Amino acid sequence: MSYRVGVDIGGTFADFCAVDEATGEIGTVKVLTTPDRPGQEVIDGLGALHERLGIAPSDISYFTHGTTVGVNALIMRKGIRLALFTTENFVDVLELARLKMPDPYDLLSARPEPLVTRDLVFGVRERLDAQGGIVTPLDRDSVIAAAEAALARGAEGVVLSFLHAYRNPDHEAKAAEILAEAFPDLHVFCSHRIRPIIREYERTSTAVIHGYVQPRVSSYLGALQEALGGIGVKAAPMVTKSNGGIMSAELGKSACVEMLLSGTAAGVMGAAYVAEECGAGRVLSLDVGGTSADVAIIRDGRPGFGSAETVGDFPIYVPTVSVTSIGEGGGSIARLDAAGLLAVGPDSAGSQPGPAAYGRGGTQATITDAFVASGLIDLGALGYGMVALDADRARAAIAPLAEGLGRSVEETAEGIVGVAVSGMYREVSKLCSRRGVDVRDFSLLAFGGGGPMLAGFLARELGMAEVIVPPAPGVLSALGGLTAEVRNDFTAVAYYDLASENMGDLAACVKRLAETARHWIVEEQRHEGEAVYQAVAEMRYRGQSFEIDVPLDAAALEAGDPGPLAAAFHAEHHRLYGHADPEAPIQIIAVNMIVTGHAPRPPLPRSGEVVRDVAPDRALSVHLDGARREIAFYRRDALTAGARFECPCVVAQDDTTVIVPPGFSGRVDTFGNLILTRERPDAH
Amino acid sequence: MRTDPVTLRVLENHAQAVAESMAYTLFRTAHSTFVKETEDFTTGLTTPAGMTFASPRDLGATWFIGLDYAGVIGAIEDYEEGDICVTNDPYSGYVCTHTPDMHIWKPIFWEGRIVAFAVGHIHNTDMGGAVPASLSRANTEVHQEGIRFRPTKLVSRGVMNEQLLETMLLNVRMPEQNRGDLNAQIAAVNTGEAKMHEMIAKFGVEVVEAGIEDLLDTGEARSRDVLSRLPDGEYRFVDYLDEDAPGGVPVRLELALRIRGDGAELDFTGSDPQLQSALNMPTGGNSRHILLMVGWNYCLYTLDPSIPLNGGLLRPAECIVPEGSVLNPVHPAAVGMRSLTCGRLQGVLMGAFHAAAPDRLPVGAAGGGGIVNVKTFDIATGRMAMASIDPVVGGAGGSARGDGTDGSGANSGFLKNTPVEINEVEVPIRIRRYGLVQDSGGAGLARGGLATELELEIFAPDTVVTARNRDRTVFAAWGGQGGGAGAPSTFTKIAPDGIRTDLGNTDVVRLEPGEIINLTSGGGAGWGFAHERDAVLVARDVARGAVSIEEASLRYGVVLEPDGRIDLNATDHQREKMARTARMSPPSTYTYNAGRMAFEAIWTDANYAALSTALARVPVPWRHYVKRRVFAHVAQLSERQRSGDGRDVEAAIALAVAAMPQLAEHLPEYAPSRDAAE
Repeated sequence: MSYRVGVDIGGTFADFCAVDEATGEIGTVKVLTTPDRPGQEVIDGLGALHERLGIAPSDISYFTHGTTVGVNALIMRKGIRLALFTTENFVDVLELARLKMPDPYDLLSARPEPLVTRDLVFGVRERLDAQGGIVTPLDRDSVIAAAEAALARGAEGVVLSFLHAYRNPDHEAKAAEILAEAFPDLHVFCSHRIRPIIREYERTSTAVIHGYVQPRVSSYLGALQEALGGIGVKAAPMVTKSNGGIMSAELGKSACVEMLLSGTAAGVMGAAYVAEECGAGRVLSLDVGGTSADVAIIRDGRPGFGSAETVGDFPIYVPTVSVTSIGEGGGSIARLDAAGLLAVGPDSAGSQPGPAAYGRGGTQATITDAFVASGLIDLGALGYGMVALDADRARAAIAPLAEGLGRSVEETAEGIVGVAVSGMYREVSKLCSRRGVDVRDFSLLAFGGGGPMLAGFLARELGMAEVIVPPAPGVLSALGGLTAEVRNDFTAVAYYDLASENMGDLAACVKRLAETARHWIVEEQRHEGEAVYQAVAEMRYRGQSFEIDVPLDAAALEAGDPGPLAAAFHAEHHRLYGHADPEAPIQIIAVNMIVTGHAPRPPLPRSGEVVRDVAPDRALSVHLDGARREIAFYRRDALTAGARFECPCVVAQDDTTVIVPPGFSGRVDTFGNLILTRERPDAH
Repeated sequence: MRTDPVTLRVLENHAQAVAESMAYTLFRTAHSTFVKETEDFTTGLTTPAGMTFASPRDLGATWFIGLDYAGVIGAIEDYEEGDICVTNDPYSGYVCTHTPDMHIWKPIFWEGRIVAFAVGHIHNTDMGGAVPASLSRANTEVHQEGIRFRPTKLVSRGVMNEQLLETMLLNVRMPEQNRGDLNAQIAAVNTGEAKMHEMIAKFGVEVVEAGIEDLLDTGEARSRDVLSRLPDGEYRFVDYLDEDAPGGVPVRLELALRIRGDGAELDFTGSDPQLQSALNMPTGGNSRHILLMVGWNYCLYTLDPSIPLNGGLLRPAECIVPEGSVLNPVHPAAVGMRSLTCGRLQGVLMGAFHAAAPDRLPVGAAGGGGIVNVKTFDIATGRMAMASIDPVVGGAGGSARGDGTDGSGANSGFLKNTPVEINEVEVPIRIRRYGLVQDSGGAGLARGGLATELELEIFAPDTVVTARNRDRTVFAAWGGQGGGAGAPSTFTKIAPDGIRTDLGNTDVVRLEPGEIINLTSGGGAGWGFAHERDAVLVARDVARGAVSIEEASLRYGVVLEPDGRIDLNATDHQREKMARTARMSPPSTYTYNAGRMAFEAIWTDANYAALSTALARVPVPWRHYVKRRVFAHVAQLSERQRSGDGRDVEAAIALAVAAMPQLAEHLPEYAPSRDAAE
């Protein structure tokens, strides 16, 4: 027997997903996370897999894992004490950032304190120009002096970030050598090695975040490797990345900046996989956890990618699956604001103390409490019986709000859901306008603990025609890691016109990046299967300040012909923005090389559809759409392929509850996905 | 309220979704880099009468919350479905505030009735006129500021007025950009209409209409609630622009803020007359004009960030703005650079409100550096290179809540900079220094935010550096509750031979190869007594380079060892001395810098009041001229000759009237008496 096992660690639970390599059958397990002892939950979960599903550690042929150690160190500010060396006269790069304040309407708005404060920032005498030429040679003494001052202030590591290092890395590299020689115990990080992008604040911020968490992540991964080996897991562990791919845990030790957003990315990859398998071409994924809802646009099984994301308080520039995070999750707290209006979020009861219904000390009403009080979550337990729900506590938490509004508890609970959904409507509307898509052409794919509870309501609000709920929505992120490909991205700044005379440079740059990528996947990652190389250029019209990604046509590159590349750029510009200017000169700002190593993906298990109507388990008395009503209650395991079920209804399963409000008809497809179809979709 | 508190919140989210979808549509489809970079645009929804009830929160300009479109909506006779109207005339309805801002509005019909308007504006890079980009402080008439369109139907029942469009495009310098940006605006209002229709279909027209009114009423109620928690009283505050035209004399902006219960009167009487430069703010005397109210919105929101940002916020206010003043000019005064005046006026409101809530609002923000642009020749490409380098704005003022933010913040918090690396790739210049200025923040219990410094070296002849909105070399940010004023801003040219030239408030400089300019903004002011600041924080400021070891001792009374440790005995001793000195002088709400105190020693309140009173009676076109004559006369007086009680000015006016007898009928009491003449 051999199993592929994927693990995703969230705020409350660690999810385990095991796929039988022979049958494709999926088994899932959840354990509580152990934030005080990172890694223990992994060992706990593998124990549970063995105990409950009979999967021994030695049966595990493939193991992927998403770690939150890095992102937690960052958010809780528990990284190492770091110093930053910049070009002299530019030491305030982190203080000034890009100037704009988080809330420009608030006269007291302030930027968060940088990870490296000015007493640990030191200027080094050196200067390169924009072409990479040396204006002022690197002054060895100023490097030594800075290091001595940094060490005197307790620095454990140093980030080197010099102006124009993306163009010419020599000064950073030389300074790193000087430091390695003089202070061998110091961690040293060069900005050009972390991510050689133009824009000094963004490059420095990315390098600082990396340096801040790297020693922590590295020692965690080392300990995990050892622990897995200790219990008999033979497969070399892989880790999930923000770009939706995976890499070996060994490589992860020095590339931790690439893993910080891996949790949400893996969820989207899982959703993309489900969408592709069941043939849903246009999908909006909705992943609702305890504190937030993450939505992503997926077309033809592919999510979008971007490189400007925020982690904690700071921007990070690494290729990342595009996700929009909305501050509303199952634990979001409802309250009456100063005007007496009902508000939901952004404060959250999170996983500690959690919703009042969890009975762990939470007293404020949350979205989850609203569902419980409406009678819509009736299983009595969530998360494989690990959390017992207490409806009385939920009602008690809502009662003060009900009193303030002069409504019944049920009406107030419904109001909480309505306000939360309208807030999601607002954010999804923005996302769609930003991308120029009409969401009514999309299916809503719901997962995470809270997605299946809210999806029906949100789909109605957005005028969407279909909701898809996969068989194990609570562990889709774990599945996402399991089905991910080995993937890495390499970048080089170009910054020249797209013109015949620059085609030689462009081709040489692509070749160089391809060689680096090949070395990574073959020599470092030791990937044995097929690898695909995709060159993409970040292009713009001259004078614009933002770039769009355009795949580079290999034949045109070979022939030195800029024509097809320009045509592709104009077409992409037109697709995104509704206009293009075929006469305007085009600049190539950067070239990216994406290498993916295909791994055999487990096909989702499917079974023959026996079309039939399934009678509900029983009736459930709920408050829904403004009235007390009896609706159908199902257990998910009764809803196998081909089943048609009554709506409105509640479907209970181990990892979540699916709530289907009035207005849908329900069936189960060949993969076991619940397909909820709007009876009267909104007209365009 | 007609709407229950749950439904109203849901409606608010939907209305915001409409306004924000409009903003993202505009942003996505806009052509010009200017729009993408500066986000100088708005979108929104108004009532049928024109009051804005929804504006985007995270995209677009921050100045126009509660903009009232009534003035332009009423200028169109009748509306039909599919109409789209535009105007960029600052004198037609007082919605547009300078010519580059193209405002657009589209009626949203439901069953034959207008239920709302989808509105917005874009700042176009150029609208034609005397100078590229249409804006120059030196302009004296609005006619120099580009082609203007009265409120007009650009689209009638879905049909574009091509002739109008052609006329516009013929008169501007970058027609394809204007055309592209106009298309983005049209896409935005069309999105607004479609999404508003969706909303009405979902909730019903009566519910939506009642909800709109209730949203505005809620904004008003919350705003009144914030005001009613402030003590009643009259809070007077004055600040100045350094120059009323290139190389000119100061401009006084004066406000008496009268808080009465849950309402307020803002009386701007005493502010300078209309100017012969582009610093005028066209408000039409509208008692809640948005340019007068930007600081109001900032202050109320800061006092309570949970208040909804919509037009209801403005309702408790009533402004008094005399006609023919810099805050209410009459046609054809130039208005292009109203942003400099408006920025300072925001500070004036912040000053007046500070006195009403000294423990909840900050003291003066820095400002003054300017928004730096470079135009130079790139020998490598053979092209002219032009780029917006950076806004150099400086830090926020301190407050009871903590230090002012360094390098930006307060009412400049919406601006973004350009990376040094991008600037150097785009333009053949070298940035020699970009960072914060030590000791530039006003000392205080809460330190003022530090100034920003930018130093550039030029490599090509005939390079032009502009620094729009340069100011604050004379009048620096004001401190409060014992806190010190911020540092003034500076602008210096350094020649290859090292000779330094002070450029003051110059905003256009022509430079040669090898020349360097160094520009610093002002610093933010301090709040509370510096000697009461936690010595540990002072030591931290020294370790972080924000304060020098000398200033720590001199201004904060914190004596530090060379290794940064606090010398407790010396510190106690010094701080005791400072506390004694502070106890001897009467407590004052505000602290001013030396430049302001020197100016006000001559231009006392009495002298300025005498000037303002007299000028208010002089015909508008004469006012700036007479002001300059009076200033010139007063400048000649020796200290011994000055009285400061108004007579200095009266004498000067009498001389002016004697020289220009046409004035006598307006100022009869200044006319030379017959006896004297004989």
